[in-house]
Amino acid sequence: MKDEFAVSMEHIFKTFPGVKALDDVQFNVKPGEVMALLGENGAGKSTLMKILSGVYTRDKGDIYIFGKKIEGNLNTTKAQNLGIAIIHQELNMCQHLTIAANMFLGRELIKNGVLDNKRMNELAKAELAKLGASDINPETIVGDLPVGRQQMVEIAKALLMNAKILIMDEPSSSLSNAEIEEMFRIVKELRNMGTAIVYISHRLQELHHIVDRVTIMRDGKFIKEGKFSDFTMDQIISYMVGREITNQFPRDEVKRGKKILEVRNVYAGDRVKDVSFDLYEGEVLGFAGLVQAGRTETMRAIFGADKKTSGKIILDGKEIEINSPEDAIKNGIVLAPEDRKKEGLCTKLSIRQNISLPNLDEVSSKFGTIDKTKEDELIKKGYEALTIKMSSSEAAVESLSGGNQQKVVVSKWLARNSRVVIFDEPTRGIDVAAKVEIYQIINKLKKQGIGVIIVSSELPEVMGISDRILVFCNGRITGEVDARKTTEEEIMTYATKFYDAN
Amino acid sequence: MSIPGMASALTAFIGVILLMIIFGFMNPNFLSKTNLMSLARSICPYLLVGIGQGIVCITGNIDLSIGSVLGMSAMISATLICNGVNPIVAIIIDIIACLIVGVVNGVLVGKCKLPPFIGTLGTMTICRGVAQLVNNNYNTGDIGTAPLAKAVRDIFYYGKIGVIYYGVIVALIVWFIFNYIMNYTKTGRHIYAIGSNVNAAHLSGVNVFKTTTTAYLISAFTSCIAGLITMAAAGMGSMQAGMSYEMYGVAAAVIGGISTLGGSGLLIGVIPGASVWAILQNGLTLANVPVAMRNIIIGIIVVACVLLDIMRRLDVKVKKENKKE
Repeated sequence: MKDEFAVSMEHIFKTFPGVKALDDVQFNVKPGEVMALLGENGAGKSTLMKILSGVYTRDKGDIYIFGKKIEGNLNTTKAQNLGIAIIHQELNMCQHLTIAANMFLGRELIKNGVLDNKRMNELAKAELAKLGASDINPETIVGDLPVGRQQMVEIAKALLMNAKILIMDEPSSSLSNAEIEEMFRIVKELRNMGTAIVYISHRLQELHHIVDRVTIMRDGKFIKEGKFSDFTMDQIISYMVGREITNQFPRDEVKRGKKILEVRNVYAGDRVKDVSFDLYEGEVLGFAGLVQAGRTETMRAIFGADKKTSGKIILDGKEIEINSPEDAIKNGIVLAPEDRKKEGLCTKLSIRQNISLPNLDEVSSKFGTIDKTKEDELIKKGYEALTIKMSSSEAAVESLSGGNQQKVVVSKWLARNSRVVIFDEPTRGIDVAAKVEIYQIINKLKKQGIGVIIVSSELPEVMGISDRILVFCNGRITGEVDARKTTEEEIMTYATKFYDAN
Repeated sequence: MSIPGMASALTAFIGVILLMIIFGFMNPNFLSKTNLMSLARSICPYLLVGIGQGIVCITGNIDLSIGSVLGMSAMISATLICNGVNPIVAIIIDIIACLIVGVVNGVLVGKCKLPPFIGTLGTMTICRGVAQLVNNNYNTGDIGTAPLAKAVRDIFYYGKIGVIYYGVIVALIVWFIFNYIMNYTKTGRHIYAIGSNVNAAHLSGVNVFKTTTTAYLISAFTSCIAGLITMAAAGMGSMQAGMSYEMYGVAAAVIGGISTLGGSGLLIGVIPGASVWAILQNGLTLANVPVAMRNIIIGIIVVACVLLDIMRRLDVKVKKENKKE
């Protein structure tokens, strides 16, 4: 019976320190079929596919490839030899090399001791022609190609390696409409050639173009599998998000005060398009949406970390000029960024140095000498807000756990008086207890009449902690909902409302 | 010690003591009063360029123009003095000229985002050209013995109080100033912050351009003073002055525990770092080791020092990670 499947995974378990990433998951895909693998961020889709492609090893469970049981662990080379290839969301190409050089990377053909470029170019061209792209010259530098074409080269490379099972992780996320259509055409072509395709995407609206069957996962568990045509879109969404919302989100009710911040028609980069919203005193404004919907970029533009192309920011009725984080901080707008290691902390420096870094102007003399007593007071103020457990404030931040590091990120900004506090994914990767502490901080700020913005990809969190929610999709605000009345389904509908998909 | 860099600085201090004992055994003259006095004086240029390069390294950058700025400083000051300019005015003009190079480096690296290696490679070549240009491609003559010119020689090199040369005092004053700035001021904190994580610093409101430029200004200033010392010692300006000193600066900083990757290290480490370098030169000379062998030995010892430090750090890191699990 397993013979009919290209891949069959049964009872897969995988635990990371502290997290059960996969809990008895099953998954299968037939040759000549497109199987959509759906689920929210963190549902375990990537982990499952990383096990299939040999990046992670499974704790328990059986994997059959074309009916043959895989004994022992897979590694990436073994998976490749079995015909499993993965096309990542971020393409992995040597941008400065030619198409042919990329396709034969690590397996270069040699003739008389030197590279056989002629033959490699011919083979590359033939492979691209199979995908209906005979117009591409294999001697083109990859970096000169548009993203859609680069993706095609990567698919051709997989085929060159005899891939029978192709995993595509968010293949449409960085493509234009025309490119998406071409990609669909290629996927159909591959399906007709008998390739088994695993298609991971958050763009539910596009699935009906190509998908045959779906597998839905949630919180590391297998939820549902079946023919795509047997489901309605609402059913799929409710299977994806259908968790019970418990009361792990304390939300204090505060009367909304006067308007603090007005953001008007902000454009920035290619991910922030015409964003306008208001923020009131004593309000927590949630920003929901899929990863890369443009929420972080919007916050960075407001905070002055990235350049705005156009748009106005009005604080307390006065238009303010923000060209750098310095300007924003001076005006009382602060941002606790998304990635604490990359952007939030100087991990080699001590807790003290990190907390006081944005507040040095408040503790130093005219000549810039830091007043130790004042600095101690400031650190204490930051500490009081959060119960940071640590041996001493001189300890390097890198020695702290993730939860405590996140508290340092937050403390930095609580030590000073601000008008608007922006939290970008404030609870990513930290445990429940620490999460609740951070929610309490948000409540406390709200009671002080501070305007709080929270960007979060976890729907239960953004619904549980905010008062009002703005939903982003593809750089625009596509919906505004009342956090107390909305449903996850409603938010997901807005979050996948691609303007260009209509 | 929990302060990052302190352990490395202490290791370097111990290294200095060990080297002194070894060379003391090899040649009793090494520990004589006269030799120790002149040894302390010969450390000064290394210490100064080590301070500058060390601070630039802490920001996560590098300054290749140090040696050329040193040469430029020696040539500008000597040429001006030889041409009858009041030595005080000459030194002021010299300092301004060097600081301009610091600003240029800051703009290239901090504003135009040139890789520091390339940006300062450019200014390195330009400054060497300027050093050659100021006196029409000749070394200068003697700066003479007029009272002020003599004062310059004394202050930067020949004069002494008791057993300590003035030059040593000048270098230590410079060290004290910048050590204070690095440890007790906003500027210093910002320098560490951009070296540790430039994104986080930027998002914390640190002006990255200003901070980068400050570091290059400091480096240009210390190179300038080192150039004045070299000029005072020779009593003239040499176009070749300061060749390779940017690398001696790297050596002094790295031996003293400053990471070239930025964000960590203490200025206190530059003192033993520069001393190791000078002691090796001086000690091997007294031990009658031929120049070629001297260079090879010094090279090996420097690499070994840094390698040991890296191994020690990796070991600490591995242990820490094991503890976490």
